[in-house]
Amino acid sequence: MSPAPDALQRRHRFQWWELLPWATGLAMFFAFPNYLSFGTQLLVTILFALSLDLVLGYAGIVTLGHAAFFCVGAYTVGILAQQLGWNEPLSGLVAAGLAAGIVGLISGFVLLRTHGLTLLMVTLCTMTLLEQAANMGHAWTGGFDGMPGLSFTMILGLFPFDVLYFKSQYLYSLSVLALGFVVVRTLVYSSFGQSLTGIRENLLRMHAVGAPVRGRLIVAYGISAALAGVAGGLFTQVTGYVNLAVLGLERAAGVMIILILGGHGRLYGAFVGAVAYLVLEHLLAKAYPTAWQLGLGLTLVAVALFARGGLIGLFEKLRGAR
Amino acid sequence: MLETRGLCKNFGALEVAREVNFRLELGARHALIGPNGAGKTTFVNLLTGVLAPSRGSILLEGEDVTALAQAKRVKRGIARTFQINQLFRGLTVQENVCIAVSERLGVGGAMLRSAGQRADVLAEAARLIEMLKLGNDTGRRIIELPYGRQRLVEIAIALGLSPRVLLLDEPAAGIPSAETHILLDAIATLPKDIAVLIIAHDMDRVFRFAERITVLVSGAVFAEGTPQEIAANREVRAVYLGSALDA
Repeated sequence: MSPAPDALQRRHRFQWWELLPWATGLAMFFAFPNYLSFGTQLLVTILFALSLDLVLGYAGIVTLGHAAFFCVGAYTVGILAQQLGWNEPLSGLVAAGLAAGIVGLISGFVLLRTHGLTLLMVTLCTMTLLEQAANMGHAWTGGFDGMPGLSFTMILGLFPFDVLYFKSQYLYSLSVLALGFVVVRTLVYSSFGQSLTGIRENLLRMHAVGAPVRGRLIVAYGISAALAGVAGGLFTQVTGYVNLAVLGLERAAGVMIILILGGHGRLYGAFVGAVAYLVLEHLLAKAYPTAWQLGLGLTLVAVALFARGGLIGLFEKLRGAR
Repeated sequence: MLETRGLCKNFGALEVAREVNFRLELGARHALIGPNGAGKTTFVNLLTGVLAPSRGSILLEGEDVTALAQAKRVKRGIARTFQINQLFRGLTVQENVCIAVSERLGVGGAMLRSAGQRADVLAEAARLIEMLKLGNDTGRRIIELPYGRQRLVEIAIALGLSPRVLLLDEPAAGIPSAETHILLDAIATLPKDIAVLIIAHDMDRVFRFAERITVLVSGAVFAEGTPQEIAANREVRAVYLGSALDA
């Protein structure tokens, strides 16, 4: 189905249905008070997936190393809290975003000289190097054991972290996700976002219209890294620990699977994909405790073959066919 | 306006451009012709910075732009179309043209304002879309358009850059003959201070359009002159034009 002729002029306007994910998020808070720990993890995962969507879905940068920025954010907050006694949560998140953003800009400057399979490999290698660095820097990072038992001051000086029921953490994460979403939404609908889509669609043409392609990609990579860093910092704050698991391949691949399931380059793909992934994981693990990943793999094959735009793409296709 | 001096390009032992000395004057309507494999597209790629020359220089209004990257040459006013469409296939016609116009107006990297709120960009894109009779296709994605219509979008993008030098690589290829007048009208309405270099195989079109013709053979300039001089050149006829003119 073709977009309406004035779709470009209207697409940045908020639609009524865009309230649904946020209303659902708030409803969860009241309806499932015993699952707020799980809900908080889900919100952090969505923010992380959203950060990847900016580079993967919109700019077409295929990377397996995005967990590196999540790790930088997570360890920044952890090190600040444990080594320097900086336990204020909001400024901790800002520091996490800044640190990951700077690492993103520097690594993007080097890594984005490559593309395709080479980029995939070097981003993966970068993540492994960082994992080893975190392991070796025991004095600062806690090495393999990480940094358990971190504590943080009250959010805005008003809301204490609720280690038992995660109430504050949940609402705090929902607020940070909303802020991150507004940033990504503003970016992708801007001229900058449009040019990123242009780069994804046709690199040769973008050069031929005089766009500073590499510069744009590095900036997008840096912003995306900063958001991933905020997600990592949030993870450390809400769980109260950080260890090498934040850098695992499982996290890096998992967030990509989430986008493939939900639909990359579609803003809400991260939301739908994260929920679908976790529900699928839960159901499959219940049905086949020893082989649930096989089911996940088969689902991914089916999505790749029959629903390239993920669940949102499938929905759009069905709506268009009506 | 645009000039090359001793321009050479080698791919290993293969010479695809050999000592090309070429001038495109201000406001010129110039055609570049030659048999398949003569190096016409390579020459355009050298002019636009897609390829770096092995030797020689390229001057734009007397200034050496040989070392400038492609994007910077576009900013100096060199725009092109491609022999095979190079469009943003998943985006609409409007978005395709808006991307070019945004870059030209220097707002392509703006992050805070929605692309749909840029009245200046939208108005300029709408003007170009109407000029190329693409008004009914504004909201259609490129992949939904017939190839001939896509060619017109290719031209609209190039014009969206407000070029001073426009390089058209086989612009009419794939456009149905009933629609070629749209393209020719668009070219005819270009301001006279824009220099246009067209690569075309349709000799009838070349001789109607061009005030000057350069014949390229095996990467080197074989002949240059007015259409009448080229048509009367027996060597050119032997090498290239014979069958086309006799027909």
